[in-house]
Amino acid sequence: MFSEATEMPWLWAGLAAYALAAFYAFRGVAQQRVLAAGTGVTRGYEGLVLLFMVCGVVLLAVSLGVRWVRIGHGPFVNLFELLVSQLFSLGAIYTLVYWRLPLLRPGAIVSLPIIWVLGLWVLMLEPKDAPFPPTYYNDWLWAHVGFGKIFLAFSMVGSGLAGVILLRWIGWFASWLRHLPADDVLDRYAWRFMVLALVFDSLMLIAGAVWAQDAWGRFWSWDALETSAFLTWLALGGAIHARLAWNVPIRLGAVFILIIFVVAFMTYFSTPFISEAVHKGVI
Amino acid sequence: MIVLRKLLSSTRLTIVGMALLAVGASLIYGNPAEVPVWVLVVPLSVLAVNLVAAIATNPRINRRPGLLMFHIGLLAVVVLVGVGRLTHYEAHVEMVDGQQFTIDDAIDVKSGPFHSGNLDQVQFSQGPFTVDYQPMLVRGSTRSHIRVRNEKGEWQARVIGDDTPLVIDGYRFYTTFNKGFTPVLTWLPDAGAPVTGTVNMPSYPLFDFKQSNSWTPVGGREIKFWLQLDTGLRQDAAWTLDVRRTGSVLVVNDGDRRVELKPGDETVLDGGRLRYEQLRQWMGYKIFFDPTLRWLFLASILGVIGLASHYWRTFTAVHTATDKIPALNSASSAALTNKG
Repeated sequence: MFSEATEMPWLWAGLAAYALAAFYAFRGVAQQRVLAAGTGVTRGYEGLVLLFMVCGVVLLAVSLGVRWVRIGHGPFVNLFELLVSQLFSLGAIYTLVYWRLPLLRPGAIVSLPIIWVLGLWVLMLEPKDAPFPPTYYNDWLWAHVGFGKIFLAFSMVGSGLAGVILLRWIGWFASWLRHLPADDVLDRYAWRFMVLALVFDSLMLIAGAVWAQDAWGRFWSWDALETSAFLTWLALGGAIHARLAWNVPIRLGAVFILIIFVVAFMTYFSTPFISEAVHKGVI
Repeated sequence: MIVLRKLLSSTRLTIVGMALLAVGASLIYGNPAEVPVWVLVVPLSVLAVNLVAAIATNPRINRRPGLLMFHIGLLAVVVLVGVGRLTHYEAHVEMVDGQQFTIDDAIDVKSGPFHSGNLDQVQFSQGPFTVDYQPMLVRGSTRSHIRVRNEKGEWQARVIGDDTPLVIDGYRFYTTFNKGFTPVLTWLPDAGAPVTGTVNMPSYPLFDFKQSNSWTPVGGREIKFWLQLDTGLRQDAAWTLDVRRTGSVLVVNDGDRRVELKPGDETVLDGGRLRYEQLRQWMGYKIFFDPTLRWLFLASILGVIGLASHYWRTFTAVHTATDKIPALNSASSAALTNKG
């Protein structure tokens, strides 16, 4: 019914919509540099960002749906599928946050480029099919993947805010970003999202352990992905404790958040594909 | 005493414990044989002591129900994992179609020093099984037919495979990729009673190129043979491993003589006759037992619920206040916080 050629235009259109959203996010911040705040110009750009984000999410959903019908299984197996699926879920969750929490919108100038890194990456991959392993029919897969997506999206929102804090350090960006909320406000929200990320990271690990017990007869075996995921959880927990134990400067806290996001990103997008462990899936 | 209590319950010790655990986790990655388990046990012990002290003395934890629940959940997970390692049981077993499981069949046994269970009471028998393959030998579904004896002593048929293990008395039997064919052979000596036995051939299709083995019947001499199989396997097409669709010829090497036997055929060898009765299959199972599994799940879920409830209360309590925190430029901040 569908072919690869049917699926790709939806993907490209979705990525184009995300690119436009990123463009207008930068445009809105740039306008603030020259215009007095509260003139309505910024809010107009925010409306465009939101519109293009929604369009991107819908277009990617169609792309995923077409592929699902074509190959008969969800986007869970190879890197191409994982990336498109993350583009959809990160976009969807970020759009929701952007819509509901206007205070956090400045973080879009960091978060949307992060999403677009995935977009560029996916464009370089072959959209080839991959066999669906029998152990992937387990219902816990959905819980594991779902919690993982929320975890990564919340980490990305926190990283976006941390990125704004750090960009202010750079003279050129400082003038761009001086109208945005104060560092302590961004810092507080960034850490809130990291705490939420910890909750969903924990749920992801629990659901993954239950699935692994069913699928491979052990709930934990220190394979590459499990070790990396555990280190991410430890880094997140450790950073939250460090913030409680010491008076961590806001900028250092922002660096912590970005490091955690990088570790999480590596866990998701590199570890499963450089390891021959059973977690790679198609074994 | 107070200094020691403060030290043991301090958040800084938590961070040290976490850092040590991160190092330990990095070292234990892939379960290398040369890395001792202490790289995990030491930091986990430090964290457990730290958790107990913090739960007992730190009012920021023990006066906040959600955080208290989370930290008790974490402590329970650490303790249960330790108990699990002391009481666990892991092994493998190869079951031939028609064979009934006994504890003596278990191989590669690893168990904790305090393992006690009823594996010797487990009763099930192996039936036929099928494994689907997609082109390029990508393994699909495994359907292993077994029969389990219930409490009334009746045999009940079940189908297990992949992520559906057989669970009896806490022992979980998982099908594995390790499976193959088994010729049933009978040795009829010139003098004495006949002996029937089975010989598990190397895993199939992994070792389809070397399906050879030998058998030494009780009172007889070693018989070397290999199995010529016609399973219908093609690399470029979907295929199902199924003994009922498999043709076989047993090739016996008797010195310089080569004898081909089909099921039901027999040949005369030195000291007696060898009969190739039939072809069956064997399935390799992984056996796993850990009495803490469900408690681990419960403790971890309760811990996360505690953490979530704590932050839910914290965030909702200060939501209004933080939304009004001024920005570097208060006019801009007001515009941004204006939900419109």
